[in-house]
Amino acid sequence: MNNIFGLVYSNPSYILIAIVIFLLLFIPLIIISEFLFFEPFFVFSIYPETTLSFSLIVTLSSLSSLAVSMNIYRVKLIKETKKIGSSIVGTVIGASAGACSCGPIAFSVITTFGTAGSIASSFLTIYEIPIRLASIGILGIVIFVTMKSLTRECRVKF
Amino acid sequence: MVDSKKIGVAGAAVALVTILTIFGTSYMSDFDTARTSTTDDGVKTLELKQAPVLGSEAATVTIIEVGDYQCHMCKLWFEETRPQIIENYINTGKANLIFIDMPFLGSDSIPASEATYCANDQGKYWEYHSMLFTYQEDEIDGGWASATRLQAFAFNLGLDIEQFDKCMTTDDHYARVNYNKQVAVTEFGANSTPTFMIVNTLSGESQRVVGAHPYSTFEEVINSLI
Repeated sequence: MNNIFGLVYSNPSYILIAIVIFLLLFIPLIIISEFLFFEPFFVFSIYPETTLSFSLIVTLSSLSSLAVSMNIYRVKLIKETKKIGSSIVGTVIGASAGACSCGPIAFSVITTFGTAGSIASSFLTIYEIPIRLASIGILGIVIFVTMKSLTRECRVKF
Repeated sequence: MVDSKKIGVAGAAVALVTILTIFGTSYMSDFDTARTSTTDDGVKTLELKQAPVLGSEAATVTIIEVGDYQCHMCKLWFEETRPQIIENYINTGKANLIFIDMPFLGSDSIPASEATYCANDQGKYWEYHSMLFTYQEDEIDGGWASATRLQAFAFNLGLDIEQFDKCMTTDDHYARVNYNKQVAVTEFGANSTPTFMIVNTLSGESQRVVGAHPYSTFEEVINSLI
C-alpha cells in the first residue's frame, strides 16, 4: 500500500492536486461552520463543543484530496472514471452536511423554499455528524478500492 | 455504458462546483452587506429603545444581538462568549445588551420569542431568554420549544401561569416579534444568526459582527468603540 502512495505522489503535480483539493474543501467548510471569520477581522477559533466537527472537516478534506488525486492518477493510467465519481459523491455528501445551521445559506434556503427548506435545513443540521461520518466512510472505501486497483493494474503493467 | 459513467462523474462534479459556488456567493454577499452597514445612523438605536436592556441604559456601548432561539450557533455564543462580555463589559457598566428576534429557523421560533415578551410582562425577560438557550435542544421544531415546554419554563421561573397562558393564546406580542424580524432583516441586513451590531450610543459609530465570534473579537470591537 505504501508503494502505491509512493508511486502516485512521487510526481509533485499529484501532491499539488491533493493540496489544492484539500484547500478548496477545507476553507469553505471552516467558513460555513464558523471556525474562520474574515469580518470584522481575521479570526480563527474552535470552541470545545465544536472540536469533533472540526476534526471531521479536516478528515473529510484530507480523504477527499487523497481520493480525487489518486483517482486522477488512476484515470490517466487506465482511463476509467468510476471511482472518481464515487469520491466526488462522498465529498458532496460531506460538504452538504452542516451547510445550513443558522447561517446565510439556511436563511436563503428557508426564505426561498419555506417549510420544505426549513425541514431540509433542520435535517442537515441535526445529522451533520452522521452525514460527515458516512461521507468519510465512502471516501475510505474509495481510497481502499483505488489502492487495490492500482496495485493490480501496476502489477500487470510492470 | 462508458457514457453513463462520464455523465455520472460530470453530474457529481457539477453538483460539487454548484455547492461551492453557493457557499462562496452566500458568504461574499454577507461581507458586502457587512461593509455597507458599518456606518450607521441613529435610527437603528432609536428603534431599539422599547427592547429589554441587559445592563446599564447609560452605557456607552450597546451590543445588539440578532438571534433565533432555535439557532445552535446562538446557543454556542450564549454559552461561550456572552458570560465574558457580561463579566467585563455589562457588569462594569461599559456596555449593555439588547436582543432582537429573528425567528426564521422553524415554526417554534416565533412562539419562543413571544414567550420571552410574555415573561417580560412579568419582569423576567432575561431569565426566560437564558432559560430558552440553556434548554435548547439539537432538533429544530423537535418539541423542546412547544407550547407545553414554554409553559413549563414559565412555571419554573415562578411566573403567573394564568397571565402567561393568556398572553400566549391571545398572541399579545406577535406583532412585536414580527416587527423585530423585519427590523433585523431590513435595518441590520441580517441574513444569519447570530448577527451583532455594536454601537457607540454617543457618536453613533457602529461595527457589525456576523457569526458566533469568540470573546476576543468583541473585546477588540468594543474597546475600539469606547
